[in-house]
Amino acid sequence: MNTHVGSWVLHRKWILAAVGLPILVAAWWAFRPEKLWINQKVSEPAPFASSTDPQPLYTGRLEGKAHQTSGRATIYKTPDGKQYLRLTDFSTSNGPDVHVVLVRSDEANLTQEIVKGQLDSVELGSLKGNQGDQNYDLPASVDLQKYNAAVIYCERFHAVFGLARLEQF
Amino acid sequence: MVRNIKTLLALAALAFTFGALAYAQDNMKHEGEAKTLETGSFHGKVHGTSGRATIYQEADGKLVLRLTNFKTSNGPDVHVILIAAKDADDNANFLKSSAERVELGSLKGNEGDQNYEIPSDTDLSKFQTVSIYCERFDANFGAAPLEKF
Repeated sequence: MNTHVGSWVLHRKWILAAVGLPILVAAWWAFRPEKLWINQKVSEPAPFASSTDPQPLYTGRLEGKAHQTSGRATIYKTPDGKQYLRLTDFSTSNGPDVHVVLVRSDEANLTQEIVKGQLDSVELGSLKGNQGDQNYDLPASVDLQKYNAAVIYCERFHAVFGLARLEQF
Repeated sequence: MVRNIKTLLALAALAFTFGALAYAQDNMKHEGEAKTLETGSFHGKVHGTSGRATIYQEADGKLVLRLTNFKTSNGPDVHVILIAAKDADDNANFLKSSAERVELGSLKGNEGDQNYEIPSDTDLSKFQTVSIYCERFDANFGAAPLEKF
């Protein structure tokens, strides 16, 4: 009697193992839970030789505020350490005394189209053209962590023509 | 009459200031061999996906997708795909939505800079979003909508 029960339990264990183990293996294969802790890091070089080219640091799309404005603003760093802002596919409306400036993207004034009071900004120069690709040198000391948005700004009417929030490239 | 002419002149001057077009054409300083065509940032909260996806065209015309500052969660059977959509929701299931896609290969690593070749006949104006896609569970880990660089 005892031996019979014992063999049955043994038998059932066998069945449990025979059924359970494949399920465990399948579940592991499907979910690969160990990957939650294991990172696979790669570091491929850029697909082209670029050490002598300016490298993009930050970029963002321009959106229109007071006037329709579109295009892309990108900050590049040249191999000799100089930084410049480049506008591409750029279009805004022409106007009087329009400047390119850098501002803080959390600047309260940017929720409005017209700036009241002083705009905390870094001047990059007068807008060279209301259309076309153009470059603006950045002052060497500018803190791009702080001034992380480019604005097309009409100084005469304190109007924000367009704004590009810059993200790390 | 004189006043009318003056008004007209003033209006013309105004129209000139606002209507005239000033076109600038600065060149890229030392233009490189590869052209940057499109770029976008990853979003993906559920699986913590972040970084940048950029499509380059090499001098010989080859298209390359490059991921930089990239991070996502590790997982089974994760692929990099292009989908024919403007953007994709976090955790979107493309099998159900049956969005057209272009397979670029298995994800090489869940962290770090990496390149993927894009088939040369890919219509980039149609396939506008990069997705990090878990094929096993049909889950979108993260997506990067691409915009012209």
